[in-house]
Amino acid sequence: MLAFIIRRIVWTIPVLLLVILMTFAMMKLIKGNPFQVTDRPVPESIQRNLDRKFHLDKPWWVQYLYYVRDTARLDLGPSLVQRNQDVNDVIKEHFPTSIKLGLMAMGFAIIVGIPLGVFAALKHNTALDYTAMGIANLGFALPSFLVATLLIYFFALRLKDYTGLPTNGWTGPSSWILPTIALGIYPMTYFARLVRGTVLETLQQDYIRTAKAKGLRWRIVVGKHVLRNSLIPAVTAAGPVLGGLITGSFIVETIFGIPGIGKYYVTAVTGRDYSVVMGITVLLSVIIIVANLVVDILYGYLDPRIRDERT
Amino acid sequence: MALLEVEDLRTHFKTREGEVHAVDGVSFEVEEGSVLGIVGESGCGKSVTSLSIMGLVQPPGRVVSGSIRFEDRELTTMSDKDLEDVRGKQIAMIFQDPMTSLNPTLTIGTQITETIRRHLGLSKADAEKRAVSLLEEVHIPDAKRRLRDYPHRFSGGMRQRVMIAMALSCSPKLLIADEPTTALDVTVQAGVLETLDELRRDHGMTMIIISHNMGVIAETAEQVLVMYAGQIVEQASVTDLFDRPEHPYTEALLGSLPKIDDHDPRNDRLATIPGRPPDLLTPPDGCRFAARCKYAGMDSCAAEPPQLREIRTGHWVRSQHPASERSAEPVGAR
Amino acid sequence: MSEPDLATETPPRKGPLGLERPFLQRRAEFEEALARNASARGAEAGASLPRASLWGDAFHRFMKNKASVVAAIAFLLLLAFVIFVPWLSNEDPYALDFSQAYQPPSWAHPFGTDGFGRDLLVRTALGGRVSFAIGFAATFAIMVVGIVYGATAGFLGGHVDNALMRFLDALYGLPYLPFAIMTLAVFGTVNFWTMVVALTIASWFTTARVMRGQIFTLKQNDYVRAAYAVGAKGPRVLYRHLLVNTLGVIIVFVFLELPGVILGEAFLSFLGLGINPPKASWGTLAQDGYTAYQAHPYIIVIPSICIAWLILSAFFIADGLRDALDPRTKET
Repeated sequence: MLAFIIRRIVWTIPVLLLVILMTFAMMKLIKGNPFQVTDRPVPESIQRNLDRKFHLDKPWWVQYLYYVRDTARLDLGPSLVQRNQDVNDVIKEHFPTSIKLGLMAMGFAIIVGIPLGVFAALKHNTALDYTAMGIANLGFALPSFLVATLLIYFFALRLKDYTGLPTNGWTGPSSWILPTIALGIYPMTYFARLVRGTVLETLQQDYIRTAKAKGLRWRIVVGKHVLRNSLIPAVTAAGPVLGGLITGSFIVETIFGIPGIGKYYVTAVTGRDYSVVMGITVLLSVIIIVANLVVDILYGYLDPRIRDERT
Repeated sequence: MALLEVEDLRTHFKTREGEVHAVDGVSFEVEEGSVLGIVGESGCGKSVTSLSIMGLVQPPGRVVSGSIRFEDRELTTMSDKDLEDVRGKQIAMIFQDPMTSLNPTLTIGTQITETIRRHLGLSKADAEKRAVSLLEEVHIPDAKRRLRDYPHRFSGGMRQRVMIAMALSCSPKLLIADEPTTALDVTVQAGVLETLDELRRDHGMTMIIISHNMGVIAETAEQVLVMYAGQIVEQASVTDLFDRPEHPYTEALLGSLPKIDDHDPRNDRLATIPGRPPDLLTPPDGCRFAARCKYAGMDSCAAEPPQLREIRTGHWVRSQHPASERSAEPVGAR
Repeated sequence: MSEPDLATETPPRKGPLGLERPFLQRRAEFEEALARNASARGAEAGASLPRASLWGDAFHRFMKNKASVVAAIAFLLLLAFVIFVPWLSNEDPYALDFSQAYQPPSWAHPFGTDGFGRDLLVRTALGGRVSFAIGFAATFAIMVVGIVYGATAGFLGGHVDNALMRFLDALYGLPYLPFAIMTLAVFGTVNFWTMVVALTIASWFTTARVMRGQIFTLKQNDYVRAAYAVGAKGPRVLYRHLLVNTLGVIIVFVFLELPGVILGEAFLSFLGLGINPPKASWGTLAQDGYTAYQAHPYIIVIPSICIAWLILSAFFIADGLRDALDPRTKET
């Protein structure tokens, strides 16, 4: 098993390199005249600095290698817009907020979504099932900006006196609630529908019939036999869910005025701060790739058949 | 009083096209210590009968009417909770496909001990000891170590033995074996049947064995029920059934078995029963085998459903043309 | 979990270092199971004339499914709304009339008016035209790219397949929205075509992977061998036998990708990267509405509901199509 883990980790390296290459290539395409994007001319000293930093006198593949080396050293270069800030600074300032929000949203999605899916499956084709899936489908279809806006509108504005929730900012626990829900609803619906499907499928399996034939109490059958088998795919689904969270965070952070990496990314793009854009994109990719890696390894640990295949 | 008494059991399945009469009026008794064999082709209702006894019929199926009495307790009206107490402890069941009947993510040990601890309240250590001895009884080598293994580490035959061990773990009074050897290689089948027989005698268990394979039934059963289209069409002791079958269907079944020592050139082709079983959505009014029967009379057989009658001691048949009552050439022979 | 079907299971892919990638494979399994099931019918129906019976049957099964029929009607209604309302309306959607600004929904303006006094009913319908246009164009592009890429990989197999799929797996590591945003930045402006390209580039992976799986599986069928045996050449086999049998899957995917693309465009617009005014899409309308939602929530609600309507109907149509094309789905 250890050998598999090592191989799997090693395999992420070429993927990372490719991702950086693609991002780099895109940046190169954007950089027609990278330093003249604002109306103010770039001061000489900065120009020289940037040239040196980006090795613009060298061929593109050398520049790429330099970028890779720098990235490996966790040096993502300076911000083009905030003249006295490095990309790393920007990340350090904004990233932890996004992580926190993301984790809370993920937590919400799991804590609400999975039980919802399980109950819907157990009470298959009853009113509870339909209601639960109705909610799930609604949450899945309504665009997150609408959900976020509605949440603010109702809970923070209209019912302000009852809930005392702020509409905006990231100041204390009460300000975390609405953004978490807004961000977490879509993944919650994903989990709910997925788990409902897997539980329904598991319930059809022969070994559940065996478990019942042995006279085990129903709640044991569900808790031990059904869940164990049906939750494994939910673990695997964490990958795309994570991707969705990253995407969604851009919107939610913008609407709620949360100073996270998503909001900054949008500002950077509209402000043409390309090094920041690149740095954040690479960072997000790394997160996705690492998350996939973790899920892969976890999956092998959870399913004994796969575990055996790998040892 | 017999250990198990089934009376006029009817189990139907609600489908979009209508109600399928999978089991339509089945009655039989199983005496303590005996082995009952139920034989019939796929879809005749034998598995559904056994599932009905255990209360394991899933929606859209349900037991519509009838009585199932086990040790003088009525199973059809029992609460789920009480049924859970009966299953595994008093009545146990093993299924056809050992590949899919075991939970792939739990060890064999867990799956055996969970039953033991559930019904017998033993501690983990004691339950494991018992599990080991059970595995040894079913001839699984290196039992103690194998407890920690997952099902995919076992071959088909061994998995079935594990299933048997699991079923016997709480010393049930009745074991229902639904096609226990069908999914196994022929070479393995005999061994599993032998093990079953051995254990049955050792534990003094009553057994119902279900199969579409006449050979298996001949080997194992003492009493035999022949089922067709949701009904019992013949019931007799195993020797009497194979020696002097009465129902045309049974005869045809036995006739279709290839015989190794049959040198009659007329029997070079395997005999088959022409036609197909009737649609159980709307069962025919008359005899359900009439459409395929060599001896069916044009009028009465198709119109009147024959009742099960005792043609001689201990031998029942549901037919208007049982073998011993046929005199001359078959009427309307096909 | 069911045992793999040895005859048709795509073999676990071994990467350059000789290991498999179960995660990506598992995630793709959902998509591939869909694809595999839908194609099995085509495979069974044989080579040259699968169409007659397949589509007829599928159509009937689809019609029997209540949810799908309702969804299909809803989808068509939305299309009708988008096509006919501007045509039939007398309102000029571009006329600015500040005296009429921010009117809530009324008989004169069933959807109300926006900040410039423009009638929202017509604007929403027009916006729908743009959204649908982008959606269909991008979906079409995604299909083309995905099919070409996936079919090539699946058909050629071997090293080409390996290389193409490795590359694809790497692409999965790029986050969707940032990637689309960067693509737009490369172009510099946001208009209909750049939006289509950006969305396509960010979304074609899944289709490619599924197509590859499909072709790869179908390739192993006997009728393909038979075609070669009577002298058919590669491209003809690919077209006549393989691609034709994947039509069902392709259609299902169209309905799965369409809402994704439209939603993506909406997100991008909402972040300020949408089509330039006065041309509007549902996304830009939502963004307009967002600036004023505190006092006039309906402006953001309406286009969002249109998007949700589209997503739900397309999703259930895809579901129904998938069931209709695969007669062996279990009844749960």
